[in-house]
Amino acid sequence: MDTFLLLWQGLAVALQPINLLYALVGVTLGTAVGVLPGIGPATTVALLLPVTYKLDPAGSLIMFAGIYYGGMYGGSTTSILLNTPGESASIVTALEGNKMAKKGRGGPALATAAIGSFVAGLIATLALAFLAPWVVSVALAFGPREYFALMVLAFVTVSAAFGDSALRGLTSLFIGLTLGLVGIDLQTGQARLSFSHPSLLDGIEVTTLAVAMFAVGETLYVAAQGKRAPESIEPVRGSLWMSARDWARSWKAWLRGTVIGFPIGAMPAGGAELGTFFSYAVEKKLSKHPEEFGEGAIEGVAGPEAANNASAAGTLVPLLTLGLPTSATAAIMLAGFQQYGLQPGPLLFTSNPQLVWGLIASLLVANLMLIVLNLPLIGLWVRLLTIPKPWLYGGILMFATLGTIGANPSVFELAMLLVFGLLGYGLRVFHFPIAPVVVGLILGPMAEQQLRRALAISQGDVMVLFTSPISAVLLFLAAVALILPLVLRAQGRGRVLAAVAADSD
Amino acid sequence: MKHLLATAFLAGALALPAGVMAADYSIMAPAAPGGGWDQTARAMQEALTAEGISGNVQVTNVPGAGGTIGLAQFAQEAKGDPSRLIVGGYVMVGAILTNKAPVTLDAVTPIARLTGEYEVIVVPAASDIKTLADLVAKLKADPGSVSWAGGSAGGTDHITAGLFAKTAGVDPKAVNYVAFSGGGEALAAVLGSQVTVGISGYGEFQSQVEAGALRVIGVSAPEKVAIIDGPTFKEGGVDLVVQNWRGVWAGPDLSAEQVAAITADIEKMVNSETWKKTLETKGWNNTWLAGDAFKAQLATEIEATTAILKDIGLVE
Amino acid sequence: MPTGTNANTRRPDWAALIIAAGLALLAAVVAWDASRLGGGGAYARIGPQTIPYAIAICLGGLAFWTVIEAWRGDFPEREPQEFAPVLWIVGGLVLQLATISIAGFSIATGLLFGFVARGFGARKMWLTIPAGILFASIIWLIFARGLSLTLPRGPLEAALVTVVTGIGTAVSSLFGGVA
Repeated sequence: MDTFLLLWQGLAVALQPINLLYALVGVTLGTAVGVLPGIGPATTVALLLPVTYKLDPAGSLIMFAGIYYGGMYGGSTTSILLNTPGESASIVTALEGNKMAKKGRGGPALATAAIGSFVAGLIATLALAFLAPWVVSVALAFGPREYFALMVLAFVTVSAAFGDSALRGLTSLFIGLTLGLVGIDLQTGQARLSFSHPSLLDGIEVTTLAVAMFAVGETLYVAAQGKRAPESIEPVRGSLWMSARDWARSWKAWLRGTVIGFPIGAMPAGGAELGTFFSYAVEKKLSKHPEEFGEGAIEGVAGPEAANNASAAGTLVPLLTLGLPTSATAAIMLAGFQQYGLQPGPLLFTSNPQLVWGLIASLLVANLMLIVLNLPLIGLWVRLLTIPKPWLYGGILMFATLGTIGANPSVFELAMLLVFGLLGYGLRVFHFPIAPVVVGLILGPMAEQQLRRALAISQGDVMVLFTSPISAVLLFLAAVALILPLVLRAQGRGRVLAAVAADSD
Repeated sequence: MKHLLATAFLAGALALPAGVMAADYSIMAPAAPGGGWDQTARAMQEALTAEGISGNVQVTNVPGAGGTIGLAQFAQEAKGDPSRLIVGGYVMVGAILTNKAPVTLDAVTPIARLTGEYEVIVVPAASDIKTLADLVAKLKADPGSVSWAGGSAGGTDHITAGLFAKTAGVDPKAVNYVAFSGGGEALAAVLGSQVTVGISGYGEFQSQVEAGALRVIGVSAPEKVAIIDGPTFKEGGVDLVVQNWRGVWAGPDLSAEQVAAITADIEKMVNSETWKKTLETKGWNNTWLAGDAFKAQLATEIEATTAILKDIGLVE
Repeated sequence: MPTGTNANTRRPDWAALIIAAGLALLAAVVAWDASRLGGGGAYARIGPQTIPYAIAICLGGLAFWTVIEAWRGDFPEREPQEFAPVLWIVGGLVLQLATISIAGFSIATGLLFGFVARGFGARKMWLTIPAGILFASIIWLIFARGLSLTLPRGPLEAALVTVVTGIGTAVSSLFGGVA
């Protein structure tokens, strides 16, 4: 039909040599800035947008697509190698990815992240092209009560997937929830836990907390091991490339991650992190090797990375079909589109087909460039680990502080980095899991606001949470996920599992 | 030792001037990238350089608390520096009051009001509310049954909703206002018929209105706006005008000549083709107002905003 | 990692008891903060203080649970920690924090680099600090000048800009000032 013809024309433009070069430049720049801890895709795109203004519309759209996908991907490299998530959507990647890197399997981890991102980006971009109107009608059926139910499900599944001690996992989660309270309450404009300090009014920045907990906390912990820690990490043990077994374990995770990430990215209040959390929980549930989770399971990298990139394409669904910028990145892109007289909205696909299909073709090309650029570089990236420790960790903290102060030029932000770094160190010493703190900070405020919105709309009637079919189903699933393990534990099977988990610690 | 080092640094700094030319500007957007202030700052950056008014323009983002964090930082750093500018607007007026910010707009030098946008009230196309009169009747019968989706509490949307209720003879405290983070989420809630009405700048809803998914039942403009298909509040029987404007300020302690030079540069920018084109693509109105007229307007607005925030119950 | 051997000793774990006290304190702070918030949940019936109270109650419960585990010695054994390296790194971060607005990004971050390297055993700080300052100034040039990221500027950065602009002018005048 017309659709294919238009996509084909778009591809023909995007594949011209000069445009391929623009795509390569965009991907390189996007990855370079996106790699900085604390600087996510939003800031990357904002910083680099002026670079694209100097080109013709086709060239700039292509470079722009490259920057976007590059910025999304950039965060995973540092997550895996240095345990320093570049942005909040790659936090989950650090969990298994860094464990793999420490065992000399950084190569396969980076490869499964890159290929998973490519596969997810490809499928999700095609889904954007062909399913956008349908996906968006589903996404709009989600109101505050449905989102609240989704958050409850996320809490239950995610907290079941982290750590072996319920006490320590919950404590970490509640520390995160407490941190999530800090700042101005959106519904009433009142400041909570801010102690009259203006810098706390906007709450705690997720990226600052993540960089502090992971990068600074990890650095302190490794340093405190002194001579007992291994002198250097063997960067490659076994193959640099993915083995047949790695492929077999990865491909299903890529597809599942895509299926989870794309619709959540398309939801106006979804967000990339949520998709990665769900993907991790699902992989852990379905894996034939659940004992490897927490020790470097490749599915735990493949799924969330695919979910992350699929949600990046998902974000474009409401943007292109409704003119709805659902994230900071999307808001900046909206500004970028307007530069070319492109007004995203319901009429866009009919009024400006060339540009829309040009953009979709550009995304496909950028996605391809990303893998062309990154696969050959894996060998080089892995060598980063051979840098002697004093220089490596000196460099990590240099980049961590650069990202933090670059995203928000304030000394206060650096002080938070230090305080939360010490907290992260303390939690590590006492074997508290780190990720639930960040999960609590991200999900807590979302869940609270959605609940209060739902109840304001219903004028205080709690039953509305159960009268919507979507939220009723989600809450039912959450209840099953919560109760089932308890039942199993009561039957004695949990005891064995807990013992296994404790031993592998 | 510390003093010695500091002196050494200072000496170095003096020996090597930073190479700042007179026409260079550094504009602070007191918000994260992507929002209205950031877009205004970057549009200024583009226009000032493209028109050759300034050789080098830097944009810095200092996000936080409705711009009050950026404002406090700016008031301190930009003292007597004619190359520094800060973007702000109506939202900042409200945020300073609700956050009880220690540094207010009195601490900086107003240069000019640049752009503005009117607020609109929209309903889903299928809604049984057809006119402002329907809305007012429903509000009077049961204010809680009308849920309003808009931006954060105490922002322009909330203030407009409160003023609307007050003007229509309904207690502003009784408005069932549901705050969403960012216009996008509020738009989704209106489109999905999760709420009764949506209130925000027209730009947020424009494409949906044009596509026929939403209907404008009221515009906060003093008279009919050509591009907006809907009656003004006044035509609908509610005598109220609100404009969400954005403007630019310079640092404190500047001489009259310095202020005049900056104002001249900004005026040149506003009259340039690049700026006009930007206003057109972004759908902003030119609301140029400089000097004492701007100052007087600001004073009136702060007074009115304080009153309504008290009525809504956000400020004691 | 060695698994807990003190599971049977039934000796209270003082560190864990301190954690419990910390959680209880946090619960008290959250509850106190919530108590001074106004209503505002007119229609929702749950206001800005509801969730904080719920969190405070849960934190209190977790504190109690931690006390029980501490008493029973259920906490996993900690590995001995060396505190000197930690102090070096924290010192480096504090130093960077204190100097960055005066000395600029490069010098402050160079100091951080030297201190962190010292924490990991590189004793030659006369070498690592200048190396760190060199790295940091290259990074500053790339991100602040090249990509216009806002990074604190000090005397060294000012000098760098002068040098780079000077080279730029010289090059362009050499080629007839095309740029």
